[in-house]
Amino acid sequence: MKAVRVAAGLALAVLATLAFGALRSPAPPDFFLLVVADMARGGGAAPALLAGVPAGLLEDALQGPQALLGLHAFTKILVGYLLATIGSRTVVEKPLAVGGLLAGAVLVEAATLTFLLWVLRGDVLAPAGWLLFARAVTTGLVGGALYAASRVPWRQRRAARKRMRLT
Amino acid sequence: MASPSLVARRPEVLLAVLLSLCLVGLSLQVRRPGGRTAGQTWLLAAVSPFVEAVTSLRAGAADVGTWASSRRTLFAANRALSSEVERLEGELLRLREAESDKKRLLELLASQPSPPARTVPARLIAIESSGPFRTGLLDRGSSDGVLVDGVVVAPGGLVGRVIAIGPRTARLQLLSDRTAAAGVLLPRGARAAVAKGDGKGGIAVEYVPAIEPVEKNDLVVTSGTDGLYPNGLAVGRVSALARKSTLFWDIQLEPAADPQRETLVFVLPPVRRPDVQGGPAAGDRR
Repeated sequence: MKAVRVAAGLALAVLATLAFGALRSPAPPDFFLLVVADMARGGGAAPALLAGVPAGLLEDALQGPQALLGLHAFTKILVGYLLATIGSRTVVEKPLAVGGLLAGAVLVEAATLTFLLWVLRGDVLAPAGWLLFARAVTTGLVGGALYAASRVPWRQRRAARKRMRLT
Repeated sequence: MASPSLVARRPEVLLAVLLSLCLVGLSLQVRRPGGRTAGQTWLLAAVSPFVEAVTSLRAGAADVGTWASSRRTLFAANRALSSEVERLEGELLRLREAESDKKRLLELLASQPSPPARTVPARLIAIESSGPFRTGLLDRGSSDGVLVDGVVVAPGGLVGRVIAIGPRTARLQLLSDRTAAAGVLLPRGARAAVAKGDGKGGIAVEYVPAIEPVEKNDLVVTSGTDGLYPNGLAVGRVSALARKSTLFWDIQLEPAADPQRETLVFVLPPVRRPDVQGGPAAGDRR
């Protein structure tokens, strides 16, 4: 079930990333991080780690054939573990906190990515500060919104509306 | 990868495995400054000992081949050089001999600035000793103008006279021959005497009165009275002096020209031409 959820999430993430790319968005949200964070919710480290692998590989694949395959997989796995660890030891309920956590995860991933590129290539390829900040903000907003939406009891509300129409 | 129970209990193991796999995958893709990926670099590093071993073996085999080839080449060169050295040594000996001949010739020309006409240079190519007889062989003969009774001289002095001739060779009688004789003069009293070969390489002067003054190292020359040799040719120096009896000296001469050492001689025309060409000379007592 989790695998289907991950697959569906990754498919949506790919579509959303392509859509934002078509819109020439300078700082699109990290939708793949959202899939990993979804698996890490509730403190499950193993699902988050395993979801980070395809998520990162897909993200690398989307960046073109010259990209290093596995670069984002590394960071996604690491971030997934961090998020799972945080989720297992703290209780994050509010969407704003979730958004902030996701924004921090974007920054951590960017830092890890920069360090990894420096280790592998010898170059410090740090992203532009405002773009990174914008990506973190948008990812936090989208993630917080999705988390908030996921907490809404849609079935109960629909059932309540049905009952109200019947009465 | 790992069992579910282990993953559930220790997710750090899964984390480490996944991160390591990612790092390995990335390292295999990253290109280093030399243009190779890390994987290629690692592969090269892994196979480099084998490549070095093969290269060393190949270089060793090539060295052995080069050594064998060089050895053959060196042996051939050594043989060629050895034969060349032998040839050059022969050439050196020939040149030394020619230089010695030239030196003797110059000495002779200096001592006799105007050699007689029809003087024939020749090489004394052999010395023969048979009992009391001592003869020599010249490499010049009648075709070169050598005549019977020709006087053979060396830079040191008288050697002998021609007793037989062929077209290309001539035989001479050495003065040390037991049957050879020449009229000589003693220097101090201008006393005429007769020098005769002793058959042993020396010359003896006989019948010199004991009252005649004679000293060792006196130079005895031909007198020209025998009709065979011209006068004034050095015959030898007095090497031993003794009284044979109360009347005569017993005088031994050391030949002025040693035939054993002389190679270049000159054949002077005979003082008295023989009546018959090739016939026995008047002074030949053999």
